[in-house]
Amino acid sequence: MALLTPGLLALGVSFLVPLVWLARMSLNRTVGPAELQPAVSPQSYIDVLTDGFMWKVAWHTLWLGLLVTVLTIVVSYPIALFLARTRSRLRGLLMALAIAPLLTSSVVRTFGWLILLSDDGVVNSALRTLGITSEPLVLTNNVTGVVIALVEIMMPYAILAMIAGFGRVSKNLEEAAGSLGAGRLRCFVRITFPLSLPGVFTGALMVFVLTISAFITPRLMGGGRVFVIATEIYDQATTTLDWPRASALSVLLLLLFGVFLVLYQRLFRMVEGK
Amino acid sequence: MTKRMSRRAVLPLLLAPAVALSACSTGTTSDEANGGETTIRLMAYATGGFKEKYIKAVIEPFEQANPGIKVEYDGVVSSAEMLGRLRTQKSNPTVDVSIMDLSVAESANKEGIFAPLDPAKVPNMKDLSEQAKVRDNFGPGVTFDNLTLAYNTKAVSTPPTSWNDLWDPAYKGKISISAPPQLDGIGLTVILNKMLGGDYTASIEPAIKRLRELAPSVQTWNPQPDTYTLVKSGQVELALAWNARSQLQHDQSNGALGVVLPKEGSIMQVNTINLVKGGKQADAAQKFIDHALSPDAQAAFSAEMFYAPTNMLTKVNDEVAQRTVMTPEKLKTMIAVDWNWLAEHRAEWTDVWRKDVISN
Repeated sequence: MALLTPGLLALGVSFLVPLVWLARMSLNRTVGPAELQPAVSPQSYIDVLTDGFMWKVAWHTLWLGLLVTVLTIVVSYPIALFLARTRSRLRGLLMALAIAPLLTSSVVRTFGWLILLSDDGVVNSALRTLGITSEPLVLTNNVTGVVIALVEIMMPYAILAMIAGFGRVSKNLEEAAGSLGAGRLRCFVRITFPLSLPGVFTGALMVFVLTISAFITPRLMGGGRVFVIATEIYDQATTTLDWPRASALSVLLLLLFGVFLVLYQRLFRMVEGK
Repeated sequence: MTKRMSRRAVLPLLLAPAVALSACSTGTTSDEANGGETTIRLMAYATGGFKEKYIKAVIEPFEQANPGIKVEYDGVVSSAEMLGRLRTQKSNPTVDVSIMDLSVAESANKEGIFAPLDPAKVPNMKDLSEQAKVRDNFGPGVTFDNLTLAYNTKAVSTPPTSWNDLWDPAYKGKISISAPPQLDGIGLTVILNKMLGGDYTASIEPAIKRLRELAPSVQTWNPQPDTYTLVKSGQVELALAWNARSQLQHDQSNGALGVVLPKEGSIMQVNTINLVKGGKQADAAQKFIDHALSPDAQAAFSAEMFYAPTNMLTKVNDEVAQRTVMTPEKLKTMIAVDWNWLAEHRAEWTDVWRKDVISN
């Protein structure tokens, strides 16, 4: 117990205190445009939950989360599988390359995509030069841009999480399957993929949670058209200055995370138990 | 909270050597070394050149005239963020004066973050124009700005003259408008409503209907990194913008960005200068506020940054007058705006925009 105390204290100060403060703030009231008044009132929660637009925003957030998760996993899976199994001497270098994007902030990477995907950017010029399109495709300032940038930003997380979860994927089992007459596809579907599922789930959960709480990319790439819970919290906290409402939204988003964590654990146990 | 706790814990440690020194009476304390100098902290905008220009035009002359007082500039991105910071230090403010948007300041006035000024200590208050005056001697207007159209001078051969030019098909996909809750979009709603013969306090349906027709032409409702950068680079060709920053960007970009005050007029935005309640330097702070409101300081800042002065006795040269709303004929076209009323309805208007304009 004595050994635990410093750890618990650090956790308490760094996580619990801000959360309690947030929960307390959500019970205050906003009067008039932005005047903050101390109170114990569920008004902010009632306002948020009865606002049709907020439900739309929540639905949009989940939809974006799912889409980005699926795309990220599909794109990252082969890379992760290769990195987990390769015996190449270059493995360390390749790992570093896959993870290197994490060293730059997502603000910088989003701005990078903003330039690459703009009307005169690399992507549109290439498409035009190849004669595929005549008019530039609108790839920024809308949900398309947000999805493209988010998938790229989430890939290193997905790759790392999947590699960590691929521990049970074993060359021996695949070779055994091969020697018993299974083809490459059959071997992948029956042996490799099921064994890699824990990694896939961990990666998916991580990407999903990071995506539905992502703020920078929807904000910078969305052109003011992409409304998600995180940008909503930002607007309420820093522009409209309705702190109780922003806090209530944060608490609700946190509850949503909780729900997904529980779902994930169920799913995980189901797969593990098989 | 942790900061305050650790500071308390550190204090005795810091004091120990000081006590030791004074006991031997060999060292000089830092107060003596400074010759009893007073420092006041001003919290104001960090962005768009405001900070450098304000230090040059207003703060440096003040410090020269008052050698005993130093002004530290604490730059913050937006008025809302300033209010956020002031809220967290309400019981023990480290800031003495703050310049922020009128409607945000009104919330701070109500929350007891700002204190009323003493008219005897801020005599320049009496010369302010009507739009700059604030109830109960709370911090008055120190700068006027107004909405304008900014355009890329390379891409646009005939400069726009009217707000209606936004609907010109030539600009399709090349328009940037900062949507509400930003004040830009709120202001545009007021202007359009007025042009269509409506009263914004009654209904904004006419403006919203017109904006719905504009929506497909708009490239972004949330320009990043900001409107001015997009116009200068040609990523957009026509944009809703603020006069002061546009004028400054016009000069800094060698004319790549052009500014037009549309003929139908515009709305004025007011920044107020406020005294923080519970600040330790109330006298020096009010001295500074009085200086900021003086005709000299107002003229100097207008010449640097093209905000229109709020003190009616301010004299500026013709060029500066032409590039702000200072001229009487331009002032006449300004649409009267009750910003406090608008602040109350900002959330509601934001919702209408999102439902009926943007996601259309």
